[in-house]
Amino acid sequence: MAKMTEEKTGARGGAQAKSKKKKTPRQPMPEQDPRRRRHNFEEVPQGYSEETAILEAGRCLQCKKAGCIQGCPVNIHIPGFIGLIAEGRFVEALLKLKEQNALPAVCGRVCPQESQCEALCILGKKGEPVAIGRLERFAADYAREHGGVPDPEQAPATGKKIAVIGAGPAGITVAGELARWGHDVVIFEALHLAGGVLMYGIPQFRLPKEIVQYEISSLQKLGVEIRTDYIIGKTQTVDQLLEEDFDAVFIGTGAGLPVFLGIPGENAIGVFSANEFLTRVNLMKAYDFPKYATSPIRPRQVITVGGGNVAMDSARTSLRLGAGSTIVYRRSRSEMPARAEEIHHAEEEGVEFHLLTNPVRILTDEKNHVTGMECLKMELGEPDASGRRRPIPVEGSNFIIPADTVIISIGNQPNPLVPQTSPEIEVTRKGTIITDPETMMSSKPGVFAGGDIVSGAATVISAMGQGKKAARAIHRYLMGEDPPEANPETPDNDTQED
Amino acid sequence: MGTISLTIDGQGVEVQEGKTILQASREAGIVIPTICDHKDLNPYGACRMCVVEIEGVRGFPTSCTTPASDGMVVKTQSAELTTLRNRTLELMLSGHPNSCLVCVHREACEKYRPGATKAGRATRCGFCSNREECSLREMALRAGENELGLPTLYSAHNVERSDPFMDRDYNLCILCGRCWRICEKIHGKPAISIINRGKWARLGTAFHKSHVFSGCTFCGSCIDICPTGTLTDRFARWYGKPDDRNLSACTLCAEGCSLFALTKSRRLVATRMTSFQWEASLCALGRFALAQIVNAPERLIRPAVQEGEDQIPCDWDTALELAASELPRFTESLAIVVSESTTREDRFLYARLAERLGASLIVVPSSRNGVEKELQGFTADLEKGRFRAVISGGDFLSAELLKGLNFSVVIDCLPSSGARGAKVVLPAAVLSEVEGTWRNVSGEVKELPAVSLPPGQARPEWQIICQLAQKMGLEGFEFKSAREVTSLVGSDPAPRPFDGEPRRGLRQLPSRFRGHLAADWVRPLEAFGMPSTPLEEMTESSKEGFEILERREVVPNMYFIKIMAPQVAKFAKPGQFVILMARETSERSPFTLVDWNGAEGTISLIIEEVGRSSRELISLPVGARVAHVSGPLGMPLPMEKKGTVVLGGGCYGIGAIYPIARGLREAGNHVIVVIEASSSYLLFMEDELKTVSDELIIATKDGSRGTRGGVQEVFVNLVQRGVDVAMFVAVGCTFMMRMAAEATKPLGIPTLVALNPIMVDGTGMCGACRVSIEGRTRFACVDGPFFDAHGVDWDELFSRRSAYSREEIEAMPQMVDLNALIHPHGSGGGCGSSCSHR
Ligand SMILES: Cc1cc2nc3c(=O)[nH]c(=O)nc-3n(C[C@H](O)[C@H](O)[C@H](O)COP(=O)(O)OP(=O)(O)OC[C@H]3O[C@@H](n4cnc5c(N)ncnc54)[C@H](O)[C@@H]3O)c2cc1C
Ligand code: SF4
Ligand code: SF4
Ligand code: SF4
Ligand code: SF4
Ligand code: FES
Repeated sequence: MAKMTEEKTGARGGAQAKSKKKKTPRQPMPEQDPRRRRHNFEEVPQGYSEETAILEAGRCLQCKKAGCIQGCPVNIHIPGFIGLIAEGRFVEALLKLKEQNALPAVCGRVCPQESQCEALCILGKKGEPVAIGRLERFAADYAREHGGVPDPEQAPATGKKIAVIGAGPAGITVAGELARWGHDVVIFEALHLAGGVLMYGIPQFRLPKEIVQYEISSLQKLGVEIRTDYIIGKTQTVDQLLEEDFDAVFIGTGAGLPVFLGIPGENAIGVFSANEFLTRVNLMKAYDFPKYATSPIRPRQVITVGGGNVAMDSARTSLRLGAGSTIVYRRSRSEMPARAEEIHHAEEEGVEFHLLTNPVRILTDEKNHVTGMECLKMELGEPDASGRRRPIPVEGSNFIIPADTVIISIGNQPNPLVPQTSPEIEVTRKGTIITDPETMMSSKPGVFAGGDIVSGAATVISAMGQGKKAARAIHRYLMGEDPPEANPETPDNDTQED
Repeated sequence: MGTISLTIDGQGVEVQEGKTILQASREAGIVIPTICDHKDLNPYGACRMCVVEIEGVRGFPTSCTTPASDGMVVKTQSAELTTLRNRTLELMLSGHPNSCLVCVHREACEKYRPGATKAGRATRCGFCSNREECSLREMALRAGENELGLPTLYSAHNVERSDPFMDRDYNLCILCGRCWRICEKIHGKPAISIINRGKWARLGTAFHKSHVFSGCTFCGSCIDICPTGTLTDRFARWYGKPDDRNLSACTLCAEGCSLFALTKSRRLVATRMTSFQWEASLCALGRFALAQIVNAPERLIRPAVQEGEDQIPCDWDTALELAASELPRFTESLAIVVSESTTREDRFLYARLAERLGASLIVVPSSRNGVEKELQGFTADLEKGRFRAVISGGDFLSAELLKGLNFSVVIDCLPSSGARGAKVVLPAAVLSEVEGTWRNVSGEVKELPAVSLPPGQARPEWQIICQLAQKMGLEGFEFKSAREVTSLVGSDPAPRPFDGEPRRGLRQLPSRFRGHLAADWVRPLEAFGMPSTPLEEMTESSKEGFEILERREVVPNMYFIKIMAPQVAKFAKPGQFVILMARETSERSPFTLVDWNGAEGTISLIIEEVGRSSRELISLPVGARVAHVSGPLGMPLPMEKKGTVVLGGGCYGIGAIYPIARGLREAGNHVIVVIEASSSYLLFMEDELKTVSDELIIATKDGSRGTRGGVQEVFVNLVQRGVDVAMFVAVGCTFMMRMAAEATKPLGIPTLVALNPIMVDGTGMCGACRVSIEGRTRFACVDGPFFDAHGVDWDELFSRRSAYSREEIEAMPQMVDLNALIHPHGSGGGCGSSCSHR
């Protein structure tokens, strides 16, 4: 589940706008009609046109000390790329984005902008922030569709070889950076397609798989070798990789271990982890059964337990499979960790919400098929360790929601396979790999890690941010010097707005 | 002719002269067992089950061929007759897979495995789609589980599945001759006959031609009359026995043939002839395609209305209200186009609607050469601007034509490019889903009951029209059921004659249903040369993937496959498995490693053909590539020294225990390997297993070799013999492992089983493979596959394994390979010469 990165509205209020320019309103995103899209797997937001993009880009004040940049976990030079869009220089805008972000088409779609860059946009303090995410997506889509993007410059070969484990956003970022700096990179991916959560988890209607595959193919153009069907920890261990012919290893295996509730009835037929449910539909394309052979799930009434992005994705995917869809979440609406836009989309499409509700047990028939779920009402008590108010059960408030399918989406834990088979790599009690926060190096020299395997289930962009850091550290570790940075003027992290 | 009287089993019986003893007995309610006899066939006397004793007559004449005569004294039951019949049955069963009939575990097996396994070859009743309806099986079971005196001979004919619609497994044929006799009776010249003689006798077409070129009309009667699982309807076979049968009619052409609609849980599984005679026969469309059209996964399931360029799904009220508010504006410029395949009630209401609105009604007949001809005049009118709106009950008009109109409603069951141009699309229930009546070309009125449920929100057209008319404020549409309309229909005209005789030839079939090309929705029809829209090709690169180096069917259904997969071969350990995907579109399915060679980079597997994925894999020829091989997966079994270990293998597990035996023996254990199969001819890898074990013990369910029974019986014997077993490991099907666990539990012997739940990723990411071990949930792919057998929640495992049984049936391939049709013996997964029978 995506965790809350910043307080959502922390920076708002108080300050007055610095500009007296004529106001253009924030440009709305054209979207597929909810009545139609709840029955199909096509993408929901349809993207800005060139005109709208220029109009929206024109709203940016080009702040000298831009807050948005601090909000971005990889410090994209936001005013820079937006300025280029405003001038109609779309491909250059993309190149600007690419300096910091290997996957702008993805991030523009899935980042929680409202709690990151856009939360710190100065315009947001009075009115609506610049639609940074939508512009990012626009530049990337434009360049992909129109071509004309020059091949990235590649440094001469260094002769160093790096193994990257896991082809999720963290691994993709590391591999891309290192390849550009002249290293020989091999990615090992357990599944049959590269992309990690971007392929198996996030649904087609939010992130078309063609975009992910396009990004993967640009990696391959840089000479990165991707070995799918290769499970580190099973096929081979990290130690063996280092012994054989790799000079360094990066672990980006993500948080792929589904957590279950541990309530009675959880192994009934019709109970799925969100991972299984989404994998069947996205990666295995079970919605196109029987052309794709993986057995589909044909729910009539689905309960999704959880309140994160994954839960929203599961609930909305259920709708598209023709089911009624309900979310059961034990805290209140404002505690939901999902992106605001996803909650909004889910509501618009007709997902029902049972908030402050906790599952007690799953009911089944004599054939072990799900028939419903017994729940308990909750009320909010004192704040807990996470700063969110702790939900407390209301005695005797039990009630039953009928359903034939239950999707458990209460989070994922780090993938244990690699640490299990490499005892020298130290992990926390939760199973995340312990790394040096500056270099992302683990307790085993030459082995680096990043992404969800380090932070616990987080976000695409934070995985990429850690990947960036790790790539630089790996280069330094192997070459004893800083990488040939294309754009050395990384924005100063310490500058604070106001 | 007069009547005669005779005595059967001491009972006086009076029958018409000319009846056989069998008929006389049946009239008197006396049961004589029969197999080759059938009420719609002439007596044949082939199976000799119906033998009787007649006073004063020597020997045991067959009652089906002996005429009854006055004063005859007949005995149908005696010790001698029973022996004789049992011997006959034994003889018949000796050439027929029979292990399930004599198996000591049959009851437990049927309890835990209620559905038949979708195997390639039916090597036993549990693999046979005929199991629930098999008269042979019933008879054998009634005769008791007597020991079979004769060895089982498995004939190892190729399973014939390159023809459209039928699967034929002549290994099950008992040569009762029902099939060719019914074919001859119905068609005069049979398409099939007994070919070869003596030991090699079997059924087939002349010169082994495909049925498509043999004069067969695909009437399906041979399938429906075959008492065994030899001849089967590919689409219907795995659904099991239908739970309801209703008289109905086919409305796909003007002939309007009567048929029986067979349903299971209100789903149409097949349609078949009402009796075995030419007059009642069906064409290929009526016999095979109808059920597949009704069950097409593409069926329209919800109404939609156009907004801008988009069609937006909506509820019925919204769609009907929009149509109702627009349609009355058009009157004379409105045309209603409906197919003759709709019920009389539907058409009556369409006509009434047209009349009330002042619109024109165009009724499109079924035809062989497309509907274009029929609609020529109308489309010309449309183009001239004669009409400004239409209601179209099918795929009759192009999207451009519809877009050019001011308003259009399409009421249909399947999507079409035309419907994309409509303002309103309404999903219709059709064929077996609709109640009503139908008049055929000879003027007969037939009843059509609604026997299956329409998909999604689809509704019958009579209901759609009534609701639409009522929303328009029209009177005369207040009907609650189609039945209320029937009496009003009166003398409607018979449909126009069909321009062909579909029941006489495959080239004369109707090519369209409601304007749609039938072969678009039922692809096997392409084999008859029926027109269709080409499918987009799925291109896959042949360079990538893992090359198949060897592929042999070692025994029926079991394929030995060697694949180039260096990364797996290098790191594999005993007890681990791999996940394979035959193609990019395949499921990810797990298979246990049987052997590997790190230096060569090869791995070997035993793949048992039991469903779609395994069939896809074993169909790949040597030199082809498996799209994905990932592994090795799972925790290897620790190769520790324990003392005496017993390894039990069944089905694919015979292969899977091989590396475990090797490893444990190398670790210094005394290794006893026990393998089981339902019959001796299904045993394999004996030589290999001998080299890695100290003792190899064999068990067969039919007792044809070794101990009669399974691994568990052998195990109990070993313990009774005083063997001190330190550990028992069982690998095989869930049933076998459960039985093994039950046997070792009271003996307190540590037992490990390799669990095989449904998996998706195999890397611990999805949890599909969760199993309960001592009340704790574990993931079999990463925590297993080996678990303590005594802690397994077997009931949960059985139920979770069956979670997708219906989807698996739906996914069984129906497509036919047109190339294989023309060269029927060129390819196609036969056992053939590579099959080694011991
Ligand atoms: C359904 C869903 C929706 C989400 N929505 C959002 C969102 O809207 N916005 C957002 O920012 N974040 C979202 N997230 C979270 C985000 O996807 C993750 O934080 C991000 O993908 C983490 O990247 P990663 O590279 O660390 O790991 P992953 O993307 O998990 O990639 C890890 C890869 O490593 C492979 N692997 C694992 N073990 C091994 C091994 N032993 N050997 C070889 N390969 C291995 C895996 O197969 C996988 O491909 C969502 C997550 C899910 C599940
Ligand atoms: S035809 Fe099938 S069900 Fe009948 S006895 Fe043979 S194997 Fe068993
Ligand atoms: S389907 Fe009909 S025509 Fe064809 S072989 Fe069987 S009985 Fe004869
Ligand atoms: S195929 Fe069936 S009907 Fe024909 S002879 Fe064999 S068992 Fe009898
Ligand atoms: S001839 Fe065929 S299509 Fe026509 S009514 Fe009979 S079975 Fe149906
Ligand atoms: S198969 Fe997905 S966790 Fe085991």
